[in-house]
Amino acid sequence: MILYFVTIILLVLIAPMLLSYIKATKMMLLFKRPISIFQGYRDFSKLMHKETIISEETSAITTYAPFLVLSPLLIVMFFLPPVVHGSYYVSFVDAFTITGLISLSTFFLMLLGLDSASAFGGMGSSREAFISALVEPAMVLTIFSVSLMAGDLGVGQAGVNLAQHFPEEHMASFLFAGISFFILLMAENGRIPVDNPETHLELTMVHEAMILDLTGVYLAIIETASSIKFVIFASLFASLFMPFGLEFSAPIAFLIFIAKLFFIATLVALLEVNTAKLRLFKIPNLLGLAIVFAFLSLITFYVLGA
Amino acid sequence: MFQFDTLSLVFVALIILGAIPNLFYSGGYLPHIERKTHYLLHYFTFIFSMLGVVVSANALVFLFFWEIMSLSSWQLILTEPKEKSTINAARFYFLMTHFGFVFLLLFFLIVTNGDLEISFAQMKTVAAAFTYPTMLFFFLILGFLSKAGAVPVHVWLPYAHPAAPSPVSALMSGVMLKVAIYGMFRFLFDVLYPWPLQWGTFILIIGSITALTGILYALAERDIKALLANSSIENIGIILIAFGMGMIFDTLGLTLLSTFSFIAAIFHVFNHMGFKSLLFMGAGSILHQTHTKDLEKFGGLIKSMPVTAFTFLFAAMSITALPPTNGFLSEWMIFQSLLSSSTIAHAMTLKLALPFALFALAMTGGLAIATFVKAYGITFLGLHRSTNAKHAKEVNFLMQSGMILMALFVASLMLFAPQYLHFFDALMVSLGKTSVYAQIFPNGSLQMHSLGVNGGVVSPLILFAALVGVTSLLLFAYKAFNVKTRVHRSWACGYKTSAKTQYTATGFSGVMRRFFNWLYKPEEHTSKQNLAGHETKFSDASYEVKIKPLFEVFIYDNIKRWVNITSYWVYRLAHFEQTRYPAMIFNLMLFILYSYRIFTHEIDWQSILIEMALMLMSLKILVIGEKR
Repeated sequence: MILYFVTIILLVLIAPMLLSYIKATKMMLLFKRPISIFQGYRDFSKLMHKETIISEETSAITTYAPFLVLSPLLIVMFFLPPVVHGSYYVSFVDAFTITGLISLSTFFLMLLGLDSASAFGGMGSSREAFISALVEPAMVLTIFSVSLMAGDLGVGQAGVNLAQHFPEEHMASFLFAGISFFILLMAENGRIPVDNPETHLELTMVHEAMILDLTGVYLAIIETASSIKFVIFASLFASLFMPFGLEFSAPIAFLIFIAKLFFIATLVALLEVNTAKLRLFKIPNLLGLAIVFAFLSLITFYVLGA
Repeated sequence: MFQFDTLSLVFVALIILGAIPNLFYSGGYLPHIERKTHYLLHYFTFIFSMLGVVVSANALVFLFFWEIMSLSSWQLILTEPKEKSTINAARFYFLMTHFGFVFLLLFFLIVTNGDLEISFAQMKTVAAAFTYPTMLFFFLILGFLSKAGAVPVHVWLPYAHPAAPSPVSALMSGVMLKVAIYGMFRFLFDVLYPWPLQWGTFILIIGSITALTGILYALAERDIKALLANSSIENIGIILIAFGMGMIFDTLGLTLLSTFSFIAAIFHVFNHMGFKSLLFMGAGSILHQTHTKDLEKFGGLIKSMPVTAFTFLFAAMSITALPPTNGFLSEWMIFQSLLSSSTIAHAMTLKLALPFALFALAMTGGLAIATFVKAYGITFLGLHRSTNAKHAKEVNFLMQSGMILMALFVASLMLFAPQYLHFFDALMVSLGKTSVYAQIFPNGSLQMHSLGVNGGVVSPLILFAALVGVTSLLLFAYKAFNVKTRVHRSWACGYKTSAKTQYTATGFSGVMRRFFNWLYKPEEHTSKQNLAGHETKFSDASYEVKIKPLFEVFIYDNIKRWVNITSYWVYRLAHFEQTRYPAMIFNLMLFILYSYRIFTHEIDWQSILIEMALMLMSLKILVIGEKR
């Protein structure tokens, strides 16, 4: 039980570092002087000391929505597969609850965007609604496919099952599901082919547009939420698609897990440097690809049993 | 004449639970209505006729109350016949509801052998002896689904529901559609029981298409009540998906899974009654205050109408299936029953096809979020987009209490889901299924299990408690942190925000409209007034977009055209003709007699050919005659 809570706390603490690490890697690859990987914490503490400015057009939604954006994601952290062998984990919560909680967080984020009465917020919400509507089916199908291979719909249990018995006989559908899930990881976290987290150009903004009018603690909360969301997706990817390293003793297994997270972050950074941001109307093509891979994975599993 | 078995009682409970908050709301709404006697008379007739439908024990009583229900709701749509569109909507509704009624009548005439007063059990023996059960099935679902609003007989719904006064829209959408679902439960279980696999698959396909179509049109809608009506179509689709899965599992002999799916269907029936009534009441309150149904004219109503805003938010969260609401629970059950399809052993094609239903359902969920973010955000958040919205106030106490009561009912569905599920389980047992309550809740009522092999688990109460707990912890930490707050105008990149610069409802769904262009086929009109010859400066600009309802344009308009052409042809042939007119009637009677013989007896190809030849001859000789 202690191990369980320690893991969650460590993962939450490491979350801002991962995003800073992606940024630093990208800067290094572009021959810029990279930012420190502790930049995320510096931003956080700076924002915590600022005063909160609430715009006069807003309503109670802005007062409460930031907390409702963060809390579902924090709850999801408790439902992730175990990082260390022998640690407690919530075996029973299935993927729909997790996607539902993430949707809940996105729902309030979109309302937050519409609340400040600026055109940017509405624009961001509209685009986010579009993207998340297309992510949803791919997500459900991918998760269904993985759970078929793992033999359990509960995410925690699926992670353990995959680690104990890796489905070598289903390698093909496993791979397809992995590709699909990685595309979803990029899309849901607003990484480059879908959204550019670094610009404030109105043509490219999705996530940033919704939170344009937030400052201080509220902004810190939302930034934390987005880094936690990245950790959730990365650790789901790490546990479901790289299911190894659990059998070592606790500190080593945890270090291996962190290494996996950083590996995923490096992968994301490399992809971000090497691809251009897609036009908004091209995004369905990318997400359509994810859906196709998810279907392929399912059909390969059923028909070929591979 | 009447019967009160568990199925009837469940639906009686549904109607009463739907009607009580509505009565309060209606009481508050009444001063707004001019023809009070007309309204009240039909309103109570409507409620009692729905009760009559679900407790009737033979076909005659059923059809009688069914017709009263249709007629009284038709009159209720005509409560305020000020606009031409209302009259057209009522006429369309009248036509469509009687289209369905004809098929129901045919169904009952066949399964009762002409004696409409026999009981449902006796009907079953007649139906079992009937040669073409699939035809009976199609009569049945055409009759009931045209009332429930499934594709392609859903087209009346987005017109009729918005045209009615809001309490009536809430009743029609929340309760009347469910009476049609009652009909499906009653007659598929009691009369047409052993179902072939194709029936369930058909219902599943219809359900998937209905869900997607409904939500896609809801997304593009800018009339708030039409948006809600389209979303009712979506939810009927979701119910039908669960219903179809239940039928498929039953045919394949997976009784437990079948019961699970049917329970999911009936749970969603209750959920949809709750939140859709609440949403229609909220929309009605807004309409009452702002005198418009146009989403573009709202904005900022959360400040002036807090009760409406928060009940609407709750209902919107529930209808978009966000945890831990009751909408999430029922959709979770439906998802689980779709996922359990992996246990289907024999039918490989079915197993491969079911992920597409899963895809449709998941897509529907995603689009529903977009739809209700739009409906809620544009209506209640931001700045007032019109003076009407600026002067809106909270509605009167009776209307508020109606909404609060309904919100409490929805909350009870969320908090006491196990108890409700127990009730639905008893219903399934009374329909001859095995009880699955013990399997859904094996370790107390906190954890809800799916019945599939290695299925998922959800615990609504723990989720609810966790969400409330974590959020209040965060809020508490925020309060303890004692942050300085300042109120200032929106930054918006330095631009000044005003009501005109906000995103509009049309703009919000613009991305989706562009992506689904092939479906919507929007008609766009733009006009702008250039300022002193400047291409880029406008004194005035307007953009209007109109979505063509695909099914209406392609199916209904074409049918209308062909009926017009045929009737003109008949008219030209037979009008004021001494011989042709009776000859035509003679031919029609021949046609009916022959069809009746084919319906009731075996198909005998030789006699069909002879009869067709006879009919063609008489048509040629008596009606068309020689060429002039």
